[in-house]
Amino acid sequence: MEMTLNWYLTLSSVLFITGTLGFLFRRNIIVMLMSIELMLNAVNLTLVALSQAAADTAGQILVFFVIAVAAAEAAVGLAIVIAVFRGRQTIDISKIKSFRY
Amino acid sequence: MAGQILFFALAVTAIAAGVGVVWSRSPINSALWLILNLFCIAGLYLTLNAQFIAVIQILVYAGAIMVLFLFVIMLLNLSEMPSVTRFTIARLFGFFLVMGVLALLTYAVAAGLDVLPERIVPAAAAVSGSPSTLARSLFTEYALPFEIIGILLLAATVGAVIIAKRKPV
Amino acid sequence: MFEDYIPFFIQLAIASGLSLTLLKGGELLGPSRPNRIKIMPYESGMDPVGSARQRYSIKFYLVAMIFIVFDVEIVFLYPWAISFQDFLAAGVGLEVLGIVIVFIVILAIGLIYDIKKGGLEFD
Repeated sequence: MEMTLNWYLTLSSVLFITGTLGFLFRRNIIVMLMSIELMLNAVNLTLVALSQAAADTAGQILVFFVIAVAAAEAAVGLAIVIAVFRGRQTIDISKIKSFRY
Repeated sequence: MAGQILFFALAVTAIAAGVGVVWSRSPINSALWLILNLFCIAGLYLTLNAQFIAVIQILVYAGAIMVLFLFVIMLLNLSEMPSVTRFTIARLFGFFLVMGVLALLTYAVAAGLDVLPERIVPAAAAVSGSPSTLARSLFTEYALPFEIIGILLLAATVGAVIIAKRKPV
Repeated sequence: MFEDYIPFFIQLAIASGLSLTLLKGGELLGPSRPNRIKIMPYESGMDPVGSARQRYSIKFYLVAMIFIVFDVEIVFLYPWAISFQDFLAAGVGLEVLGIVIVFIVILAIGLIYDIKKGGLEFD
């Protein structure tokens, strides 16, 4: 049992690190948002694996809430991307200095 | 054994797709890699006996959130977008072939080191991820968080309408 | 657990493998003699004008976003619908129904706001 959990946790940490690297090193806002989705998914995988190991449904309920938060985050985040793009015609994060146009 | 190879195949493909999200030059390619990654994670949820989570993973993430992402990419229609590498079925076959070989190698190494994943056997009866099991605690114990999620979604609707509909300055 | 879903994954592999093989097979076996007329998007229709990549209206984004919100709502309501009878049998059916109605009303406020703001009107 211990061993299996380790495999799932290893996988999810690798995915989380990938998402973090993407968030830190990409300059395209849309790809940065996708990296956040990747990180959220890694966390969800951890939650489900731990909920299975602990025989408790609380982890899976939490995944529900995380998915709802991810949907809300994607909707608002992409709305902000659209608003910023309309103002200055770029989604390169290094070219955007302030929210005011 | 088949289950373990399945785990490694899904895990290796998920990691490769995750790297693809970060590595791709074009946002469209990133989005497609992310969809593959989400499907692999849904498969992993199945191996963890969380059927309902696996289904809503595909429904909400791959079905709705990724549509929104692709949609925004096309909405913005970036002129400086780098050209997309030509997609061929041969390349797709090659990708899955390489991932399969890598999964087998990982399996062999793990078997050699005697650290193969086994079933997670909880002390109590196995937790079923079926909708009715989840509903029992979602609507009783977690009723308040459930309503708060409703308010969060309301805030997201209102906020996105306000931000996106504002006239360009 | 693992083993229960192996038939599912085998079917998935066969279905995707078969469709990909057929696609590739048709491409490899069929004759391919393209010319300028043949590869036009509408071979015997209008000549295409301009680029196919045009910006869409912001309205489409609002519709997609409302779709996401209500998609998540359905995901939350589905387990309730599945175990409605169980809740009734346990004697908490009405309380849970009240909780769900409050949830739906909260989300309906967002929809009404959006309609009032004209987010769903196409003109």
